[in-house]
Amino acid sequence: MTPQLSWYLALSAVLFTIGVVGVLIKRNVISMFMCIELMLNAVNLTFVAFSSFFRDVSGQLFVFIVMTVAAAEAAVGLGIIIAIFRNRESLDVDDASILRL
Amino acid sequence: MVALLFILFAGMAIGCAVSMVAQRNPLYGAISLIGVFISLACLYVTLAAPFIAAVQVIVYAGAIMVLVVFVIMLLNVEEEERPTRLRSLVPIAVVLAAVLFAEAAFIIYFVQASPSTPTRNISDVGLTSSIGAGLFTTYLLPFEITSILLLMAVVGAMTLARTGGLLPPRAVVVPGHQVLARDVLDPRAVNEPEPIHARSTAEVEKILGIEGAPHVTDEDL
Repeated sequence: MTPQLSWYLALSAVLFTIGVVGVLIKRNVISMFMCIELMLNAVNLTFVAFSSFFRDVSGQLFVFIVMTVAAAEAAVGLGIIIAIFRNRESLDVDDASILRL
Repeated sequence: MVALLFILFAGMAIGCAVSMVAQRNPLYGAISLIGVFISLACLYVTLAAPFIAAVQVIVYAGAIMVLVVFVIMLLNVEEEERPTRLRSLVPIAVVLAAVLFAEAAFIIYFVQASPSTPTRNISDVGLTSSIGAGLFTTYLLPFEITSILLLMAVVGAMTLARTGGLLPPRAVVVPGHQVLARDVLDPRAVNEPEPIHARSTAEVEKILGIEGAPHVTDEDL
C-alpha cells in the first residue's frame, strides 16, 4: 500500500492547525514566531505533495520561494523581537500591545 | 513500505509539533521544531523530492533554527506563565474546533472518494536539474525578485539591530577643519540633513550639547 495524496494533505492540515493553535495560545513572541514557521512548513508539505503527485515542478519552485520568504522573515522578525526586548525587558505579547514606546 | 515510512515520520512530525506547543520553555520548543523539520525532510524524500529535502535541512533546520536559538540564548528568555484571563472562552473554542475538524474530515472524505485521484509514477520532477531548469527559465523573474527581498531583509535586520551611531561613544575627531555627517556622531539625529563643521572633539561636543562627557584625550593615546 502506497501513501495517497489525501494522507499528505491530512498531515499538512493537522500541522497547520497545531501551528494556528500555538499562535493563539502562546504568550511568548518567540514561541509564536516558531508556530508561524510550523504553519509555513505545513503549506510547503502541501505544495510538495501536489507537485509530486501531479508531476509538475512548479510546486517545488514555489516551496523554494516560500523558504526564502521564511528566511527573510526570520531575520527581520528576530530583529524586531530584539528591539522589543530592549525597549520593554519582556517578550510577553500583552506587554507590547500598544505599538508605541 | 513507503506507507510505513509515512506513518513513522508523520507521527514524529505531529508528536514534535504538539510537544512544541505544549512546552513552556521556548528553547525546548525550538528543539521540538527541529524535530518537525527533520521529519518533514524525510517525508519530502518519500515524495521523491530530494532537493527540497536537502534545502529543508540546510535552510530550516540549519540556518533559521540557529538564528532562533541564538536569539533565545541572547535574550535570556524565562518560562512563560499560564494565562489567567479569557477562561470563559474555552467552551466556545472547543465547539469551534469541533466544527473545523468536522469540515476538514468532510473534505478529506470526498477527496478520497473522488474517482480521479492521480497516481504517482517515477519521474524527474524532484531532481535538482529540473528544479534549476524551471527556476532559471520560466520562473526567472520571481527568482530575481527573491534576491531583492533578501537584500531588503539584510538591510532591515541591520537597521533594526543597530543601537546608535556607527562610532563608539569614546571616539575622537581628527584635528583640523572638517565637515561631519550629523547622524554618524549623534544617533538621535538620524533625519537631520545639516552636517557639522568642526575642528576638534571639544567643538563637536559643544555643538551636540554633550560637553563634559568622558572622552579619550591625547594623554590616553
